[in-house]
Amino acid sequence: MFIVEGDSAGGSAKGGRNPAIQAILPLWGKMLNVEKARLDKVIGNDKLMPVVMALGAGVGEDFDVTKLRYHKIVIMADADVDGAHIRMLLLTFFFRYMRPMIEEGYVYLAAPPLYRLTKGKKHFYAYSDEQRDELMEELGSCDIQRYKGLGEMDPVQLWETTMDPAARIMYRVTLEDAQQADEIVTILMGDKVEPRREFIEKNAKFVQNLDI
Amino acid sequence: MEFENNTPREETTAAGGLLKYIDIVSEMKKAGIDYSMSVITSRALPDVRDGLKPVHRRILYTMYENSLSPDKAYRKCADTVGSVLGRYHPHGDASVYDAMVRLAQDFSMRYPLVDGHGNFGSIDGDPPAAYRYTESRMGKLTLEMLTDIDKETVDFMPNYDDRLKEPTVLPSKFPNILVNGSTGIAVGMATNIPPHNMGEVLDGIFCVMDNPDATLEDLMEHVKGPDFPTGGTIMGRAGIRAAYGTGRGKITLRSKCEIVEKKNGRFQIKVTEIPYQIRKMKLIEDIADLVKEKRIEGISDINDYSDRNGMNICIDLKREANPQLVLNQLYSYSQLQITYGIILLALVNGEPKILTLRQIIDHYIDHQCDVIIRRTQFYLKKAEERVHILRALLKAIENIDEIIEIIKASESIPVAKENLMERFGFDDIQATHIVQMRLGQLTGLERDKLENEMKDLLAKIDEYHEILGSHEKVLSVIRGELEEIRRKYDDERRTEIVNVSGEVDDESLIPEEECVYTLTALGYIKRQPLENYRQQRRGGKGVKGMTQREEDATDIMFSASSHARLMFFTTKGKAYKLKGYEIPEGSRQSKGMNIVNILPIESGEKVSAIITVPDEVRDEYVCMVTRNGVIKRIRLDSFAHIRKTGIIALSLDEDDSLAWVHLTGGNDNILVGTVNGMSITFNERDARSVGRTARGVRAISLKNGDKVAGFCVLTDDTKVFTVSETGYGRLSENGDYRIQSRAGSGLKNYRTDVYGKVAAVLSVHEDEDIILISSDGIIIRIPASQISVVHRPAKGVRVMRLAEGERVTNITAVPADEEEETELPPDDGTGNETDVTEEEEIIEDGPVDDGPDGDVPEEDEPEDDAPEEDETEE
Repeated sequence: MFIVEGDSAGGSAKGGRNPAIQAILPLWGKMLNVEKARLDKVIGNDKLMPVVMALGAGVGEDFDVTKLRYHKIVIMADADVDGAHIRMLLLTFFFRYMRPMIEEGYVYLAAPPLYRLTKGKKHFYAYSDEQRDELMEELGSCDIQRYKGLGEMDPVQLWETTMDPAARIMYRVTLEDAQQADEIVTILMGDKVEPRREFIEKNAKFVQNLDI
Repeated sequence: MEFENNTPREETTAAGGLLKYIDIVSEMKKAGIDYSMSVITSRALPDVRDGLKPVHRRILYTMYENSLSPDKAYRKCADTVGSVLGRYHPHGDASVYDAMVRLAQDFSMRYPLVDGHGNFGSIDGDPPAAYRYTESRMGKLTLEMLTDIDKETVDFMPNYDDRLKEPTVLPSKFPNILVNGSTGIAVGMATNIPPHNMGEVLDGIFCVMDNPDATLEDLMEHVKGPDFPTGGTIMGRAGIRAAYGTGRGKITLRSKCEIVEKKNGRFQIKVTEIPYQIRKMKLIEDIADLVKEKRIEGISDINDYSDRNGMNICIDLKREANPQLVLNQLYSYSQLQITYGIILLALVNGEPKILTLRQIIDHYIDHQCDVIIRRTQFYLKKAEERVHILRALLKAIENIDEIIEIIKASESIPVAKENLMERFGFDDIQATHIVQMRLGQLTGLERDKLENEMKDLLAKIDEYHEILGSHEKVLSVIRGELEEIRRKYDDERRTEIVNVSGEVDDESLIPEEECVYTLTALGYIKRQPLENYRQQRRGGKGVKGMTQREEDATDIMFSASSHARLMFFTTKGKAYKLKGYEIPEGSRQSKGMNIVNILPIESGEKVSAIITVPDEVRDEYVCMVTRNGVIKRIRLDSFAHIRKTGIIALSLDEDDSLAWVHLTGGNDNILVGTVNGMSITFNERDARSVGRTARGVRAISLKNGDKVAGFCVLTDDTKVFTVSETGYGRLSENGDYRIQSRAGSGLKNYRTDVYGKVAAVLSVHEDEDIILISSDGIIIRIPASQISVVHRPAKGVRVMRLAEGERVTNITAVPADEEEETELPPDDGTGNETDVTEEEEIIEDGPVDDGPDGDVPEEDEPEDDAPEEDETEE
């Protein structure tokens, strides 16, 4: 099951999927930060409940991993910083309320391409800056389109690049150290500002994608 | 926690795709840092140089590109929003429109940057109309943000799809970061820069330019504090100083409220300004909830009478409510008062930094230097290019025959150029211009023009070099431009900054000066610097001391330092204290502020006396006398600690009220006079000094429902003034009053059976003036020296002519006004109906004729309706 940003690619993901093996759950807008919200706010939240319903395994203490209706839950967010934010919000939700799902390795991240290089009538996709540079060397002069969001791709492209099991790149989310994960979630998503600022100051040099 | 650099495990799946593994920790870190840094550096925080976030900059630049200048027609916001999205801002349309709306709101922006037409929302919190309805263009000031942007003054960067270039910063010809402020919540940090007054900020900038060693104190001489578009009042300066000095500070921002007394005797709190960024509707609802939950009592009704002329929220109070108390509760429980946390955080070279005021100003000046230098370099380049061409053209004109020969001999333009370049050493650009020369340029006139242009350009080039070679020159150019901005856009400060007592070093900021304090019979109080008071008097208008409500008159008037400690005593026997500066300064014309705004006094309670506490309290005593003849004497130092809510100074009988309070030296003689013409004089020691909670002792035995009419302290250079309700008055020497024992019936002071009851008794200096007020609200002022000195119980002279049924009700002594008689305005002769203020110093003889005669009281003028008696001894 693919969870996609509805604003961006809800429609094209539905059009591009293989309905026999793939389901689409569009999410509209940014969901609640569950780290800062109380349980009663989480249950009944109109952004999160569709996710809970679709997965069919309950939430929080009632979560039963054996009841999951899907064993590949793919977060397909835009390759921009807001996409990064949505990944953070969803992972936090899963980590806090459906942790066994991560422990079992059912959670994946889709990796949409960052660039499309066009040479004549042929298209090539690059999933990283390095790959883009390699392709540019290979192809010589070509048109480069930078993808800001999944919405820029039509259904066929989305299938070809991101959803086709034969061609796609996917990340499987693992949980190696639950305590460390707990720590980082608290720092990044919690209600204390100071640790977050310290984290940012310490790690500012590792920034990879900056918004424009 | 560090970022791991190990490459993730990866494998090819059965289907042919690539599967990589990523730990939730590293994914969270990576996403977290990307998101946080993006929000910090390119979304939520303003650049220190132009005070704009990217979305604002893109809106303004797009409007500039679309030529939406103030002289053009308004354009639909949808068009602008679309252009911004399409060209520079690959995000949501709502975020662009919201940002644009805010730039247009005059209650959000101190100096709006978008000139909006249509519904852009309201201070009530109403949303703006959708962008298909609203229209906008740039305001005049907006152009100043963009001036010179076409002259290579700022860096440009490619837009999101590499199709266009957008500015990384705007030239910002005025310090937008300070005058409009900025608010933004990033991740792990937030900014909250309050808006400021244009003139003040520019003066601050000039101050730094003139004196690089300027201290924060120097700077704050000019930049007094935030100036919100919504006005309001900032309580105290400590928070402002902390914010300016460290980048962080908290200020208390209050609504502008006034307590007014309605015709039915109840009080009403009128709110005319509310704190910045508070939504009015929400505020009113919150107050209504507080009333419903009974957290605040005493409010009977709230109505919002705001209209296009301004805000007006009326909070009606119940009859028994103490208005000051209710207002204080409103301040503490509702958003009628807020704490505004200032955080001066902005991006400096792309990094978030907490800045001091001085640092912001320095960065702004640096940015302007940059802009001016780059603009000058641009001009220089243009001028040099033109000079290069002019040189060629002039040379060509000089050798025109040969040039024409060469061109004629060449088979094509390129060849002609080639030949020209070879013969005269022109370069390609020069040769191109020569072959494109028009024949008309060969006339003498055109030639002169070219030569003049050359001369001008060379002069300008010199000037440009001069600017580029001197930092001082650059600064003076900036200064000139900023002064122009100041001239065009400076306006009145809207937010008042008031002093709060108790703020440690606050007092040092308040100039210590001698002030005249006045309190009217209806309870309006104000303070005027003595200097202004005197100057105004000489100023020619003459006699206005105070603009009062109709039929209001000065009740208490004295002069004291602005730092003086004042004690207020009320009719209910309570004592309050204030510092002089806590009383609002008023102009001569202003009526002052109702005392209920300053002291938490109750309905029906009035201030009966104000005393000035000496700097050093030694052995002074406070002597209080009630209407029913009770005196209480207490050491002044017993009042060292008076709470804000006041303390009981004297316990009163039910029907009694505290009416007079004087400071005595410990061995003074005091006189108490009654309405029925008795008086008693005794040494103050006769009334034993008691503790603060004690009751008083009897000063005089009152007979037949008699009441006390006055209480005064006799000193060597004073005389006793007695005035009757019928308008006759008399001065008597102190020696006329024999010292007796306390609590007796006293001596006959006035023959009330024939002359009328005693209205008041007062100690006056010879050089003082006496102000008399009648029951009809007529006020006259007489120099004490014009009243004859005779023995008690004589009638005295007519000091005030009264109409049928009119009585003298109130008197007070004030320092004489030397110049009053020379500059009286002509009286318009309408008697009572004239502006009361005009009459204060006019000796009012009932309806008066024009002319100076009205000023001088006529002594003992015979009258039909009053029995004429000679002065007789008792």
